[in-house]
Amino acid sequence: MAEQLLDVSEMEPPEPLVLTLAAAESLATGDYLHMIHRRFPCLLFDNLDQRRCGYLKREAASGRFDVYIWSLDDPDAEMQARQAAEQLSA
Amino acid sequence: MNYTALSLAQTPPLSVPLRFFITAPLFTIAAGLIALWFGPELFESRWSYPLLAATHAITLGFLGSVMIGALQQLLPVLAGTPLPKPVWLSATIHLLLTVGVLLLMAGWLLAEFALFEFAIWLLAAALLPLVLLLIVTLFRSESKHPSILTMIFAVIGLAVTAVLGLDLLAGYTWSEWVLNRGLTDIHLGWGLVGWLAVLVAGVAYQVVPMFQITPDYPKLMMRGYAPMLLGLLLLWTLLQADWITWLIALMLAVFAIVTLRLQHQRRRRIADVTLDFWRLAMGSLLLALLLWLLAPHLHLTPIAPVVVLIAGFAVSAVNGMLYKIVPFLIWLHLNNRVQALGSWQGKIPNMKQIIPERQARWQFRLQLAALIVLFGALLVPEWLLRPAALLWIASAAWLGWNLLAALYLFRRIVSDAQDVG
Repeated sequence: MAEQLLDVSEMEPPEPLVLTLAAAESLATGDYLHMIHRRFPCLLFDNLDQRRCGYLKREAASGRFDVYIWSLDDPDAEMQARQAAEQLSA
Repeated sequence: MNYTALSLAQTPPLSVPLRFFITAPLFTIAAGLIALWFGPELFESRWSYPLLAATHAITLGFLGSVMIGALQQLLPVLAGTPLPKPVWLSATIHLLLTVGVLLLMAGWLLAEFALFEFAIWLLAAALLPLVLLLIVTLFRSESKHPSILTMIFAVIGLAVTAVLGLDLLAGYTWSEWVLNRGLTDIHLGWGLVGWLAVLVAGVAYQVVPMFQITPDYPKLMMRGYAPMLLGLLLLWTLLQADWITWLIALMLAVFAIVTLRLQHQRRRRIADVTLDFWRLAMGSLLLALLLWLLAPHLHLTPIAPVVVLIAGFAVSAVNGMLYKIVPFLIWLHLNNRVQALGSWQGKIPNMKQIIPERQARWQFRLQLAALIVLFGALLVPEWLLRPAALLWIASAAWLGWNLLAALYLFRRIVSDAQDVG
């Protein structure tokens, strides 16, 4: 059970979207994806819905955007991702 | 990598913007051919008919086409408000605009003002309903991004430019219509500042941070730049005072310096031809302002700042924009089309493969050379104008070829996918 970290903050479109979706699709059971971007990934969330992925968004005052992504069929990964998101908020 | 269909639900069909982009370089080639044919005569007077034909080939034929095509693409995505019947609308506007600009150019080149009778109606039918539609669509937008506000101002700038231009054209065409040449400077001011400079700013607020990985433009600037610039332009139209022109020039310089500074702060330090086009554009904007300041002391032709502004600033910025927007759109539509066909397992090229950096880089070098020689031709037109025209034609043709090759790649991959599917 592990966090898969993906920092796309220095990539130009469409790389952040493509890499995030690819990583979300290849998550192993128990794993969740932690994506870091420099801006709001406006096209991402509809695509995650289509792929039956859950997600939590966190925006920092600096503008940095963190997204935690898991498969909706994987409750353990969801729990881990929620805990990680809470820790980030704290 | 499994590319599944991306949901850019508001994206119009690829043909909507691309028909404008593909034909646009033909107009810059035409401007170069006019310069090649007429030579130094082109710069003899701001009223010379070949110069008016070449100028409108670039401003309406190239810049107008690309920006109108881009607006029809950007608006639905940025503002979340689709235009009605996008394919029909874009095909109709493209036809009216293209034939209208050709007739306008032919009217000047042949000194046959009867052709303007048709050009007026075609250009009015292409531009005025589109302007109204764009303004209504933008106002309805739920997005509050400053780009949207800036685009509203740019479209207002286009409307004023178009109305003044049509009025001037009517003066050439119908004897009972008064030709008020005093409006020419106002038409030029609204076209260059109210339409081109404001729209480039609106596009830059999105494109520069997103594709060039820079910090955002300052919020105050994004909110205030366009309304202040158009407010000053309105004041200048009414008062024609020098201090207002100075303030407008200062604001344009601030935009160029802020853009160059943001690009200097970019996080990813790899070569990018779009960035070079934008730097060339901003450098040209500053040079145009400098020439405007120094023109009276340098014995330069009074058209020099305008030539640098149009050929250096506007054409370079739009050229650079095309190298991001066209590969991105082709990649996006390719992705959606081949996935819609089902089980096809072929590889979708990435953006750098759709228009290879090397191809774009060679065109940038040609464009840079064309501009250097063109700027020299402002001093010694009898020596340098025709070489500048040749380089300009080669650069425009190379851009056109790069865009066509990208379209061919799109069609080939879709066709292969259909064969396999």
